[in-house]
Amino acid sequence: MKAFKFLIGYIGFLLLVSCSTDNPVTIPFENPEVILSIPENFPEVNNAFYANAPTQYGVSLGKKLFFDKRFSTDNTISCASCHIPSNAFADNKPQAIGVEGRIGLRNVPPIQNLAFMRFYNWDGSKLELENQPLVPIITHEEMDSSILEVMGKLKEDSEIVEMFSKAFGDDEITPYRIYASLAQYEYTLISSNSVYDQVIRNDGVSFTESEAQGYETFQQKCASCHSTELFTDQSYRNIGFPINTDSNEAGRARVTGNMEDYMSFRVPSLRNVEFTAPYGSFGQFATLKDVLDYFDEGVLFSENLDDTFKSNGNRIALSDAEKENLIAFMKTLSDSKFVQD
Amino acid sequence: MKNFKNILLLFTFSIAMLSCSDSDDAPVANDVTLKFLNTFGDETIVLGDATSSTATENTSSEGQVHHFAEVKYVISNIRLIQVDGTEIPYNINDLDNGATVVNLSNPSSLNYVLNTIPSGEYNQIKFGLGVRSNLNTLDQVSFPSFYALAGENDTEMHWEWGTGYRFTKIEGFYDTDDKTLSIHTGSTVEGTIDDESTYTQGVDAYREIALDLPTNATVGSSAPTITIKADFDMLLSGATNTIILGEGNATPSIHTAANMVLFVDNLGGNGTSDTTGMFSIESVEN
Repeated sequence: MKAFKFLIGYIGFLLLVSCSTDNPVTIPFENPEVILSIPENFPEVNNAFYANAPTQYGVSLGKKLFFDKRFSTDNTISCASCHIPSNAFADNKPQAIGVEGRIGLRNVPPIQNLAFMRFYNWDGSKLELENQPLVPIITHEEMDSSILEVMGKLKEDSEIVEMFSKAFGDDEITPYRIYASLAQYEYTLISSNSVYDQVIRNDGVSFTESEAQGYETFQQKCASCHSTELFTDQSYRNIGFPINTDSNEAGRARVTGNMEDYMSFRVPSLRNVEFTAPYGSFGQFATLKDVLDYFDEGVLFSENLDDTFKSNGNRIALSDAEKENLIAFMKTLSDSKFVQD
Repeated sequence: MKNFKNILLLFTFSIAMLSCSDSDDAPVANDVTLKFLNTFGDETIVLGDATSSTATENTSSEGQVHHFAEVKYVISNIRLIQVDGTEIPYNINDLDNGATVVNLSNPSSLNYVLNTIPSGEYNQIKFGLGVRSNLNTLDQVSFPSFYALAGENDTEMHWEWGTGYRFTKIEGFYDTDDKTLSIHTGSTVEGTIDDESTYTQGVDAYREIALDLPTNATVGSSAPTITIKADFDMLLSGATNTIILGEGNATPSIHTAANMVLFVDNLGGNGTSDTTGMFSIESVEN
């Protein structure tokens, strides 16, 4: 029996030895995963999330980088310059404004609940959040920089270098670590505490009469596209909005090459929509009322116009009262805590 | 014992000397120059702005006149094939040393020298128009030289929104009133397009070109020049598609994947029935 115990011990020792020879010794570092409070009624997270789950120091690094203007070639524009927290991480301009006042192709999308999205950008060109940050960094009308230029600047900043160490275990600054930490920060930006959420959760809050009627109209006339708790079904649709004549614009078709996707855009979430005016892929509409009036009066016809419109005379008929109530309901999707944090 | 060692050393040395002297008369490797001749039919293209009187004017099979102000394209994944079928890849996974941007306004870019090609007889060349998806990531850290070459202000071969390279960029004018044509191609593919397990979305604009050499290129004591003709008449009047330029396809949406494939298939072949596209071998000089 004693010999048997010894044998067990010996095998254990062997295992230990083999482990230490197979793997280079890694110095353990303290960087716990962040526990996100994900509402039960939200959709599944994007698979990429699991490979880059937010950690305490990954998120704090990502947040720091998100507000860092050195990401632009002339140090004037950070991610947060266009993705302004008090606007649900969008802004109030028709189209994005980059370095030297250059005007971008599209309206700035809000950054919220991205962990649950399957596509990024209005045309869904990116499927993983970690692949997104390079686009604004190099785009002429946005930051007009390059990843080596950014890395070069960050390396000079000992505070940032220290944050990379804490987040990733050593002080090497790599493109992936930059993208991954930005994505980790963005994954934590979850908006789920609006009046609507409190009503749904029975938190002792209820809709006003107007909001309740708006919610009813919403369910009849809007919820087929603005579905799920994200208020988007994440599909691409051409809904006949006035067309951006910029030769670079084709909507989803510029990604798929499929003319059925021409001038189709991802259905936008309506969460925090109150804070993200103007509306449309290049800010065609100043107010929510303008959007609803346009739907009511009739949209542009095209071969690939969405069936919702085609089968209803190219419009969504809405009375003045319905519009008023819909706007009241949409404002219940405002998450004042989210835009303050 | 010591003697034996000395003999062995001498023997080894002699063998080494012998093997060296064997190949003394021909070098083990030499350069091969790829020379790109860009034409409309048999006429070398001269670029020019809208009102240029010197620019080469071309007429499509549908009778549409057009000329170019700017033409650039990316060549990568170059392989030379020996008469016995052996394929000699040339830095195919290294864009810095195995890919180039041919720019018609930059004469030095029309010649691309492949260094240290093993001596032998070659009867075929393969290359890609564009960049294979796995390398098409604007990876500045891995390939800083090619990134810089493609990104220069007068080159503009970065496709920022797709985080890839532009594969071709053609600017010019069409019809007698010189309307603008602007044709850019590049990939938007995620995953491998023929592999359902990885493919998710997008268009692969990379095209494989295979050209037989009319006479063998003999690499060794000579450093051959292979002249590759790119006949841009094929842009509108290609083997795959006959294209009439108009409001819907000459500029709007053409920087996008939407109408792009028609042009891609004409320039680089459709990958099945046509693996030469606009390219052919003009000559081989040994």
